[in-house]
Amino acid sequence: MKANYQPKPPLLVNAFMAFYIMHDLQVGVGINGFQRYIYMYAKHDSWVSVILVGLLVHLIVFLILKTLQLYGSTDIFGVHDDVFGKIIGKVFNAIFIVYCLYATLITLINYIEIVQSWIFPETPIWLFSLSLFLLMIYGITGGIRVIIGICFFNVIISLWVLFLLLFPLKYADFSQLLPVLDTNPLGIIKGTYRMTSTVLGFELFFVLYPHFKEKSKVQLYSHLGILISTIVYVAIMVISIAYFSPGQLVSNIWATLTMFRISKIPFIERFEYVTIAYWMIIILPNLMFYMWSAIRGMERSFKVVEKKSLLIFSILLFVVSLFFKTRLEISRLNQLFVPIGFYLAFCYPILLFFLAFIKRKWKSNKEQAL
Amino acid sequence: MEKIIRPIPPTTEEMTLALKKGLQNSADLMVKSAGSGMTLLYIDTLIEKLMLHQDILGRIKDESFSEIDAIMGEITVSDIKKSKNLDEAIMAVLTGSVIVHLNGDSSVLLVNIPSDEKRALSKSENESQVVGSQIAFNESLSTNIQLIRRYLADPNLCQEMFHIGTRTHTAVSMLYIKDIASEEYVNNLRERLTSIKIDGIIDSAVLSQLIEDSSLSLFPQMTVTERPDLVSHWLLNGKITVLVNGSTLAICCPHSFIEFFHTMEDINVRWHIATFLRLLRMAGVFMSIFFTAVYVAVLTYHYEIVPQALLIPLSESRARVPFPPLFEAFLLEFMIEFLREAGSRMPTKVGQTIGIVGGIVIGTAAVDAGFTSNILIIIVALGALGSFITPSYTMGNVIRILRFPLILLAGCWGLYGIMFGFCLLLLHLLRQTTLGAPFMAPFYPPRFADWKTNIIRLPFTYTSNRPIELRPKDEHKYNPEKAKKQK
Repeated sequence: MKANYQPKPPLLVNAFMAFYIMHDLQVGVGINGFQRYIYMYAKHDSWVSVILVGLLVHLIVFLILKTLQLYGSTDIFGVHDDVFGKIIGKVFNAIFIVYCLYATLITLINYIEIVQSWIFPETPIWLFSLSLFLLMIYGITGGIRVIIGICFFNVIISLWVLFLLLFPLKYADFSQLLPVLDTNPLGIIKGTYRMTSTVLGFELFFVLYPHFKEKSKVQLYSHLGILISTIVYVAIMVISIAYFSPGQLVSNIWATLTMFRISKIPFIERFEYVTIAYWMIIILPNLMFYMWSAIRGMERSFKVVEKKSLLIFSILLFVVSLFFKTRLEISRLNQLFVPIGFYLAFCYPILLFFLAFIKRKWKSNKEQAL
Repeated sequence: MEKIIRPIPPTTEEMTLALKKGLQNSADLMVKSAGSGMTLLYIDTLIEKLMLHQDILGRIKDESFSEIDAIMGEITVSDIKKSKNLDEAIMAVLTGSVIVHLNGDSSVLLVNIPSDEKRALSKSENESQVVGSQIAFNESLSTNIQLIRRYLADPNLCQEMFHIGTRTHTAVSMLYIKDIASEEYVNNLRERLTSIKIDGIIDSAVLSQLIEDSSLSLFPQMTVTERPDLVSHWLLNGKITVLVNGSTLAICCPHSFIEFFHTMEDINVRWHIATFLRLLRMAGVFMSIFFTAVYVAVLTYHYEIVPQALLIPLSESRARVPFPPLFEAFLLEFMIEFLREAGSRMPTKVGQTIGIVGGIVIGTAAVDAGFTSNILIIIVALGALGSFITPSYTMGNVIRILRFPLILLAGCWGLYGIMFGFCLLLLHLLRQTTLGAPFMAPFYPPRFADWKTNIIRLPFTYTSNRPIELRPKDEHKYNPEKAKKQK
């Protein structure tokens, strides 16, 4: 496998799409109920944790893109191959692929859980799972441009959801935010750690990067995307703290959805029913990006044809998704994902950057010596 | 395998025999002797008799020629050529030529004088408009090309001829403006036209189905129109047009999804109105697709999302209805479709009666009988209106049938089902291409510069560029700097 990977021109997209992709990847199923765990630790200063995570993501994405820029046009699979050599590189690639599948599963199951507990408690899981996999397979077989297309559409047409945040403002009591920075710093750090799993998604730029046309502008647009999603998260966090009483927020699994409940226009009440169904289009690009990254990895690293691995992974994940039925099981799955996501998406890119940097330096020194 | 060229038999008898055999002893094949060894062979029903007498017979009768070239000089018809190929001669006879045969000569003259039986130009019935020209194409290819050339007196307007169909040999003409239309699209279309293997095409609507990108897709990827002004406007933007002899419809491509909701009137009326109308159409189409489905979903599964004040009239009107919402909606939707189909196959006057019978009698009776609720009738009627709002008939039909799967999904899985349908639809649209160009442009890939001409319409002073989604060679309609100075 060559470290450098240059996709064909029809598979390239403009650099400003990085903005939409980044924003879309970061906002997913987690936004429906991320407040609870952070509030447990960081209390009314949770919004500080959210801002800290935002800053952290800026740093990590900066490093991710710097790592890839060392090679010109490549993805994480090529970097692994170059840094760790053929065999160990393959192991790392396999880990990344498994991580992508895990993320797909997490997103899928959490969404299905929401649909089941709010709208259709009787309908079996397999039906939801099957319908989402059908959409995923149909989208992914259309190629990366279709996936990015639906991601772009989703960001544009989902703007209305933000207006729903205006309704809770009527009942918000912003004095609950005071006193600012009163919580002990360790709590805020712990809250930050819990928040990391919500904003995941940016690590897929490791795989998407070769598909951007003007590589030099990706940095700018992806950071803009992070900025916007951080603002959205902070806004929701602040409104949640002001709207709920502390006890409520800790015991509420889906705080955002609960806030949507009170939204009301002359012909629609209980907006959460609409948003839950609507959330399908918001998580669909996330599911497809993760799945696509996994099958890209299979093709790049193990030379398995995309369609074949797509089919195998879909069937595999479909079967696995049937086993998670209770809140407890799903919660355990989520708990397990927090450290994995933290180490893989937040810590590992820093390490990889330095490894790749040293390797490049060493190589060019050797070439100069020759 | 190379085809064997059959030569023209030199003697009159053999030529007559060969032609009769070639045309299966057709009764309308005329063999007329013009004196001194000259014979005219033609199909009586296909040629212009007046020209035969004035320009051919009148010039060569009573004279004797030793060779065929001399006759060529005498005949004053412009479309004339010499041929040594018997099959070519037979083909020419079938398209309205007269064969002039000189005894002893192995080449013949093919004088093309087809009878030009055609309908007079008339008003556009199916795509009528208030502001703007009223003329529509008719069935004659030459007239249609003439109509376009009248709008576009541009030397760069290219016209390429093809003959498609192994049996029909239909004349098909591809038009584009050389220094605007993208070469890639032109080559692409030319390749598709030449690679068609079919016995015959009767109408351009058939041709468009043969050359479009995906025939499995629900959506048409090329449009057909009967308006020469619209075709000219699109040619100026860099599109390619295909005209088919015998068809009143011109194919235009590449044609993106949003352009199916454009009309010529959008260009003709002032920009505020045009923008309003375009947005209105989009809202109408959206409503048409989703309204009934949402009704079914809400009444079957999500009573909670209806506010109390609205829930009371809703449940009152549904109190007497014995069916579940899904069945009720299907009943009414199919009733509307029946009416529509019946109305469109009827003569105009009967059609109106059908509308009254359907709309008033059946509608009121259905509510009185407790078959459907009043509110559903309003919703279904609005949906039907919304699908009529689509200017393109082919796209309107798609909107019309799209409702049914969505209603079914709504009946099975409520809002989740509708969302599933919506996602599937969006993915499907994103996967489509039109002549290799993305179908969903300018939404995706986002061409924000085109939004001002294709989604809304800004004044012409702000739209000096052609839509870039067509990749025109010359991007500027005019130079905005110069235009400012003249003001």
